[in-house]
Amino acid sequence: MSEPKPRKLKINILRYDPHVVGDEPHIDTFEIEEAPGMTLFIVLNDIREHHDASLKFDFVCRAGICGSCGMLINGKPGLACSTLTSKLPEEINLAPLPFFELIGDLSVYNGKWMRGMNERLETWIHHKEKELRSINRIEEPMDPDLAEEIYELDRCIECGCCVAGCGTIQMNENFVGAVGLNKIARYKLDPRDERTDADYYELIGDENGVFGCMTLLGCEDVCPKKLPLQSKIAYLRRQMVKTGLNENVTKCNCLQHEEKMPEH
Amino acid sequence: MSKLHHSRVPAYLDFTQSLTGLLLALFIVGHIIFEGSILLGPDAMEKMTLFFEGYYLFGERHPIIVTFLAIVISILFVVHAALAVRKIPSTWQQYRTFRNHMRRFGHEDTSLWMVQVVTGFAMFFLGSVHIYMMMVNPEKIGPYLSAQRVVEGWMWPLYLVLLFCVVLHAFIGLYRLALKWGWFEGKNYRRSRKIMKRIMRAAIAVYILIGLASLGTYVSIGLNLENTPVEKAER
Amino acid sequence: MRIIYTDVLVVGGGLAGLRVATGVQERGHRVIVLTLVPPKRSHSAAAQGGMQASLGNCAMGWGDNEDIHFEDTVKGSDWGADQQVVRMFVNTAPKAIRELTHYGVPWNRVRKGKHTAIINAEKVEIEEREEAHGLITARDFGGTKKWRTCYTSDGTGHSMLYAMDNKAHENDVKIHERMEAMSVIHRHGRCYGVVARNLMTGEIVAYIAKATTIATGGYGRIYEVSTNAIICQGTGQAIALETGIATLGNMEAVQFHPTAIVPVGILTTEGCRGDGGILRDVDGYRFMPDYEPEKKELASRDVVSRRMIEHIRKGKGVPSRYGDHLWLDITILGREHIEKNLREVKDICENFLGIDPAEEWIPVRPTQHYSMGGIRTKYTGESQTLKGLYACGEAACWDLHGFNRLGGNSVSETVVSGMLVAEYISDFCDSPQSHIGISTGAIEDFVRIEEEKIRRLLNNDGGEDAYVLRRAMEKIMMEKVGIFRNGRDLQDAVEQLEQLHIRSKNISVFRSKSYAANPALVVAYRTQKMIKIALTVAYGALLRTESRGAHAREDYPMRDDINWLKRTITSWPDPEQTLPTVTYEPIDILEMELPPGWRGYGKRNIIENPDSMIQQAKIDAIRNELLARGADRFAIQKALMPYEHLLPEKYRGRNERLYERFDDEKDEV
Ligand SMILES: Cc1cc2nc3c(=O)[nH]c(=O)nc-3n(C[C@H](O)[C@H](O)[C@H](O)COP(=O)(O)OP(=O)(O)OC[C@H]3O[C@@H](n4cnc5c(N)ncnc54)[C@H](O)[C@@H]3O)c2cc1C
Ligand code: HEM
Ligand code: SF4
Ligand code: SF4
Ligand code: FES
Repeated sequence: MSEPKPRKLKINILRYDPHVVGDEPHIDTFEIEEAPGMTLFIVLNDIREHHDASLKFDFVCRAGICGSCGMLINGKPGLACSTLTSKLPEEINLAPLPFFELIGDLSVYNGKWMRGMNERLETWIHHKEKELRSINRIEEPMDPDLAEEIYELDRCIECGCCVAGCGTIQMNENFVGAVGLNKIARYKLDPRDERTDADYYELIGDENGVFGCMTLLGCEDVCPKKLPLQSKIAYLRRQMVKTGLNENVTKCNCLQHEEKMPEH
Repeated sequence: MSKLHHSRVPAYLDFTQSLTGLLLALFIVGHIIFEGSILLGPDAMEKMTLFFEGYYLFGERHPIIVTFLAIVISILFVVHAALAVRKIPSTWQQYRTFRNHMRRFGHEDTSLWMVQVVTGFAMFFLGSVHIYMMMVNPEKIGPYLSAQRVVEGWMWPLYLVLLFCVVLHAFIGLYRLALKWGWFEGKNYRRSRKIMKRIMRAAIAVYILIGLASLGTYVSIGLNLENTPVEKAER
Repeated sequence: MRIIYTDVLVVGGGLAGLRVATGVQERGHRVIVLTLVPPKRSHSAAAQGGMQASLGNCAMGWGDNEDIHFEDTVKGSDWGADQQVVRMFVNTAPKAIRELTHYGVPWNRVRKGKHTAIINAEKVEIEEREEAHGLITARDFGGTKKWRTCYTSDGTGHSMLYAMDNKAHENDVKIHERMEAMSVIHRHGRCYGVVARNLMTGEIVAYIAKATTIATGGYGRIYEVSTNAIICQGTGQAIALETGIATLGNMEAVQFHPTAIVPVGILTTEGCRGDGGILRDVDGYRFMPDYEPEKKELASRDVVSRRMIEHIRKGKGVPSRYGDHLWLDITILGREHIEKNLREVKDICENFLGIDPAEEWIPVRPTQHYSMGGIRTKYTGESQTLKGLYACGEAACWDLHGFNRLGGNSVSETVVSGMLVAEYISDFCDSPQSHIGISTGAIEDFVRIEEEKIRRLLNNDGGEDAYVLRRAMEKIMMEKVGIFRNGRDLQDAVEQLEQLHIRSKNISVFRSKSYAANPALVVAYRTQKMIKIALTVAYGALLRTESRGAHAREDYPMRDDINWLKRTITSWPDPEQTLPTVTYEPIDILEMELPPGWRGYGKRNIIENPDSMIQQAKIDAIRNELLARGADRFAIQKALMPYEHLLPEKYRGRNERLYERFDDEKDEV
């Protein structure tokens, strides 16, 4: 059985180590022979093991579920671990996700940004009563469809691809990004979260929130989890305009953040 | 006063920007068609003009109606521009970051936004001139007067550019409006988006063709006018 | 030198670590969590299938309770588990799930009325009760009598971890990301924290605490192919081992998952089979019913994995350039079901195999999956030998799983043990014993040792290449310490690993000399630790001349309850020794609530211990007597093996179910 001759992949990697004095951003090129079923995870580890042990990148699950390995693959944000080389041309350009703090080479500290975003949007369930009435009792029922709908939005893996693909955030670093807006949509759906629309308006009712989004849809088109970002951002926009324009909205529960205003 | 800590202003601004954009775009959708009536012959255009001057309603011509329309449009125009200008990169640095992002990314909708910014920016000047002229000289609209302006007034280069700008801007704008507010999402919003994008492309093509054809007609009428005194031809 | 003081230090930001952290914080103790990666990226996120808790809401789980969950777990463990711990666990699991619901996990819910499910490849109609509508539902998982595995589609671990991390945000838990624990600081048999290295800047920091918890997950990556994330390298167990005082339990108990895709080893969830997927061989023949007529594809993992290898060895595997494999067929479930409930599986098939699982069969093979072994603890989670050092989650050998854990029991364990251990730690911190009695000088010594190690690695020229050693180790583990084991291979493995261990002391970091973010350096020092862990696994396996749970010896196919009903305890008291020290901790049948017997699946290959009969007779007598007196199941259980007194007071309550309703006022049935 003769197999077709494997391709020689040319991998161009944008490298820069801020910890090394005098280092300048530059491109290193590596040549790798393609193998069947090869992903960029395999390629990068091969480079590290056989060509350049100092090459920095992040993988954890290597299965497309932990969100560690976002990078620019031929300019487009994506998860390296779940990108088969067979779907790419022979020459592959890799660069770190822009916008996030650079650790070195392809490794960025997007976890830190996500943490800040989560804190700012208070992405947890806000109960009026913090404690369960009793941990021993049957749980509150929830509509099965609603539960699935919430999970649908809960699937975000905080990989930051949507942020890297967002033109708005490049110009306004305080923008919460699609990932943040999606989280608000998630909590808004969830009946366990007792925040009102007015509460959400406090969090995203400005240019750093939903009104900052210019509907460029980079987020929608790169999200590796295919979250319904376009649809949910539109939904939030409608809701937040309604809230903002509604003179009757006077009630702000401000469950937890009565004093503590979100920082922008 | 409400207890919203946050200002309501952003909600108003976003809403108004879209509303003015929508109205302007709908206006343009009609406007170019009306202009295109010239393609059916000077008489059709004449009738159209008369219609807008209220001739069929009041039995006499009131160019003031056109002036009024122009004023409304210009208000919308100014408000829209003022709101939209907030989104335009305000510093060179911002512009460069965005441009780099756009080039690297090669993402159509992101690039389309840039088209909107550039065309919007251009219309800021071109459109202003055009509207101003319509406002101060409403009575000078008509197949021959317009044609004369186009040719002798050296307006055709301006109209040519304006045509491209306004058509691109309006239809990209409408497409984005639909996505922005989640209109026509249907069952599968991803499919709807693809369809809308196809409609947007088709509309841009059709309108540019109509626009070019009408402009061409004006030019040819205008060139022929050199032999015919305008006043006579008009009345 | 930087020293950071706190009350409680938690190493590991997975489900277990986060739950401990929020727990102690709520009890008023300051806590810091160290983690290699942002917590939401921890391996817990990978758990797809679900979490076991005996809620009994769905029709197929109706009638479930703690007793049945207990029995399933003990049988699953092949009687290796600590039965009191299992009792504590099964009683707390429903509470854990209800707490997580409160934190926001969007569990799938029961939908009233009829629906069809596929059971044993046949369509079955199931009717859900009206009163259960909207309550948390469950799916079938291997080794359980009832449908007990609660889930959120197939992203259970993800949703749980996100809810937990969000809770930690809410409680303002301090999390230090990209900090790697390098060694445990201890003195006079008492643990005082860890030395950690900042993976971005290379800074070495000492964290000093009253209590230190290791929740660093498993050690699957000592194998060449594993379903585990690449950070599951056993460094947590290694730093405990390196104290020379703390011990590891049952390290040879390594579970293989039947259905990881070939070649990359990414898992397709057990839910595939739970929902009705079946295994086929090279001829497309469904072979499992021949081996396991009753449970078929859903026997416990160790059994299914071994049956698959057996079948492959009969020449029925599908040959491929990556070796033989079998097929997992979920096409019969239908596209709609796959796209809704098994979407991650679909994504994985598309992204890593380029196939559509609704149309094509998935190539699978048993692959390393779970580490039952870990830091040996008491029921409180505290090391049996090093005071102030706690462990929980997959990193620990608490001993819930014995020699085989049931699918769905481990994420459940992470949260349950997190809840309980947080209370025990808090109690400890509240007591005067928790006083920190170590001088700055002594702390500095620990820091200096680590700094010195790193300097040596970076400055050593012409030493060993860490990658070469690691690949050799991975291969040995794969080939000689795998699903089926035998004395000859294990002996080889131990000897070769010992050589690797000796060579690993002379590793040098080539090419990349930075003290800051430096992947080559990380590979170097982790390889040293991993080889030690591999040795404990291989050596334990060599010495254990029986087959139990996941540990299957071809040369000793019987489970030997006379000689081997005991836990392997491994330590490394002298840094110079080249093999670990192994001792054993007996498991007393006469204290069991469920004495050893047949598991109900797998081969019936047991050397029985006479005590089993004696204990069974005793139990039967007690039960009959109490039943005659009209005692309820709680009273009977209490008479057989009391455990409630071990639980923290707040978790002693009973669990309400639709068929065991509470009084409206009191939390009682
Ligand atoms: C693919 C897959 C699917 C699974 N599916 C299921 C399932 O359906 N049901 C089920 O019950 N179980 C399942 N499991 C098992 C279950 O996911 C794990 O056992 C469990 O999540 C382990 O949680 P943990 O908190 O103990 O550790 P982990 O989640 O692994 O967390 C370990 C933490 O420790 C940190 N860490 C590690 N070493 C260090 C160090 N040296 N210094 C500092 N920090 C460190 C890491 O950064 C991480 O935050 C699955 C496992 C796999 C591999
Ligand atoms: C001075 C002239 C104009 C300028 C500077 C301008 C600028 C802009 C800009 C920058 C945007 C993008 C705003 C955003 O992304 O949020 C925009 C949107 C839009 N414009 Fe204009 N524009 C002008 C005139 C017009 C005209 C004449 C029309 C009608 C044809 C029009 C229709 C629209 C529409 C429909 C949108 C989308 C609205 C939205 O996103 O909310 N614009 N404009
Ligand atoms: S929304 Fe999508 S792209 Fe953005 S962080 Fe979440 S998973 Fe990634
Ligand atoms: S749609 Fe909004 S959030 Fe998404 S990329 Fe565009 S501007 Fe960013
Ligand atoms: S490594 Fe986890 S998503 Fe790529």
